[in-house]
Amino acid sequence: MSDTSIYVVKTTANQERSVANLIAQIARKDGYDIRSLLVPDVLKGYVLVESPAPEIIEQAIQGIPHARTVIKGSSTFDEVEHFLTPRPAVVGIDEGAIVELISGPFKGEMARVKRVDAAKEEITVELFEAMVPIPVTVRADHVRVLSKDEVQR
Amino acid sequence: MTEQACRECHRIVEGVVCPTCGSSSLSKDWSGYVVIIDPKRSMVAEKLGITLPGRYALKVR
Repeated sequence: MSDTSIYVVKTTANQERSVANLIAQIARKDGYDIRSLLVPDVLKGYVLVESPAPEIIEQAIQGIPHARTVIKGSSTFDEVEHFLTPRPAVVGIDEGAIVELISGPFKGEMARVKRVDAAKEEITVELFEAMVPIPVTVRADHVRVLSKDEVQR
Repeated sequence: MTEQACRECHRIVEGVVCPTCGSSSLSKDWSGYVVIIDPKRSMVAEKLGITLPGRYALKVR
């Protein structure tokens, strides 16, 4: 098991999945010893490849569109393990925090967090601009935390 | 059609039923992408508990 390392392939932004699919296709067809490919959402422009040697990946990515280079050096599995367990979207959002909505019909609006539902990864906010305080439930990954101010509740 | 992920086994499936676990609980809302080619010798597959090669999502809502 420990004979493999994780190598990083640089790709064009937003083409990570198509590059991973093509590498997998070529690895199966030509029998390259590539064991898995990992595309974490937080790592834009890179594909992580599990293989015993970087030369194998260099050969495999020849001719694959949007795949640029194999980055020199390797990572251990422990270094990339945290990508396999994505952290919940509500981490870092507390009641009373000031957030900006970054998608949906209220995009660009500022709001204060009233409730956090960790299980559903949803938060209930009250928009600053609203005439009357109406609670709006939005997905936790649709907001950006501006201030963690919990005092002015 | 956008690809869907099985809520049970996280496999990316085409169609309305997951061919691996038979579940029809699929979601279009998934993130993170893993392609397992050799599950027996892959550390990633071992960590995720994947025994079959294929495409998987890391997180399915």
